[in-house]
Amino acid sequence: MTRRLLLAWQQRVCEEHVIKPLFIKGPSLGVRLLVLTVLSVALMVVDARLSVLQPLRSQMGLVLMPFYYVAELPVRSWDAVEQQLSSRANLIAENERLRAEALLTQRKLQKLAALTEQNVRLRELLNSSSLVDERVLVAELIGVDPNPFTQRIIINKGEQDGVFLGQPVLDATGLMGQVVEVLPHTARVLLITDVAHSLPVQVNRNGLRAIATGMGSNEWLELRHVGDTADIRVDDILVSSGLGQRFPAGYPVGRVVSVERDPSQPFADVRVAPTAQLNRSRYLLLVFSPESGYGNVLPALSLEQEQDANAVTGEGPTPAPADAAAPVQGVQPDAR
Amino acid sequence: MRGSLVIILSFVVALLLSVRPMPEPVGIGRPMWLAMVVAYWVMALPHRVGLVAAWLAGLASDVLYGQLFGQHALVMVLVAWLMLMLYQRIRRFPLWQQSLVMIPVLGLAQLLLLWLNSLAGNRPPTLLFLLPAPVSAVLWPWVSSVLGALRRHFHVV
Repeated sequence: MTRRLLLAWQQRVCEEHVIKPLFIKGPSLGVRLLVLTVLSVALMVVDARLSVLQPLRSQMGLVLMPFYYVAELPVRSWDAVEQQLSSRANLIAENERLRAEALLTQRKLQKLAALTEQNVRLRELLNSSSLVDERVLVAELIGVDPNPFTQRIIINKGEQDGVFLGQPVLDATGLMGQVVEVLPHTARVLLITDVAHSLPVQVNRNGLRAIATGMGSNEWLELRHVGDTADIRVDDILVSSGLGQRFPAGYPVGRVVSVERDPSQPFADVRVAPTAQLNRSRYLLLVFSPESGYGNVLPALSLEQEQDANAVTGEGPTPAPADAAAPVQGVQPDAR
Repeated sequence: MRGSLVIILSFVVALLLSVRPMPEPVGIGRPMWLAMVVAYWVMALPHRVGLVAAWLAGLASDVLYGQLFGQHALVMVLVAWLMLMLYQRIRRFPLWQQSLVMIPVLGLAQLLLLWLNSLAGNRPPTLLFLLPAPVSAVLWPWVSSVLGALRRHFHVV
């Protein structure tokens, strides 16, 4: 096989040297370059404007995305070995820490239950739509985008798990970003610190609205167009406001670390440190919330959905009194 | 047959290296593994690895990087084309001189990538995006020797 190729090549080389053939076999270099360039440009334009190439990308991704797993294999195996070899004392310490953490979380949860109850009751009084609980799916980080100028990560849940474009992603401490590319078994998440990302936020203390824009560094975000006189201070906590119709409201986004008010500038320079551990979290939560739409299919969550449906029907009697109470509430202002 | 397998495997390894996790400060200078491998094969076997192979490798890297179809493909075609223009001269050069030639070749590739990226809407803020070109050029002698040894060992012609 190789010898035949070699012979063919030699023959071609000889032909080229001895006499130029009248008709070149195959197109010339320039033509090939031109064709491939035009093809690439066409692909780029089509890919940027339309979604017809998405199936092709999915198919190629099916083969190529495992590369991220393989490339991370040394790190993973090192972690596994370390876990195997970590001493008993370490494990006990970690266990105790986790126990303490669980206790603290439980305490917060107790309070939360009461608060949620209260919130629902108040909302019923106001006759506004009730809070729908979000459903989440746990995903694991499998890779970081190799391009150092973007802040994107790759997770191990994809279309097959019901992940959809624009889905919000959280970690244990705050909002991380949103899904920008869905492949069959993986998805790409754009972090809130990417230069191309902005999200609407609210100061938790007074409800001041702002837009938090990523700056390309995972250390901080910037608040855009915050007036010099706006009531915002260092250590204010920012939560997502839900106004962009993409992220659910009320998740922590960041903490204000510096506010610089320069009279010569039209806006204050507010820097925010994200609360999510953007470069450390290994486990992430994909949120299925009414704000972002639940996506079209939830294969992994269908069971949970049924449970929820049952829960809603189970709660059937409770909204009824609220409805009954609502007219009374409505009447009262008239009576006054 | 075995020769094609070796070439394809070298592309696969290059793609793996190009998504390998790297610590934050070093990540900016990540060597252009795929471009180097493409450049080597085009230089060594121009009748076998040409523009189309480079283009397909570029498409694969577009999917891996999550960028528009055709960005890296076009860049790889540029690298292959430059090497096709230069291979008759470069082959005779000593390795360090080849490295010097690789700086403009890979630098042009990075510039094209920057241009395409800014068309697609995300332009890196600093000149540091050119760093991979000199880093790759420094690594070129080793990449070239390893691939050369592979080529001779498996008699890829």
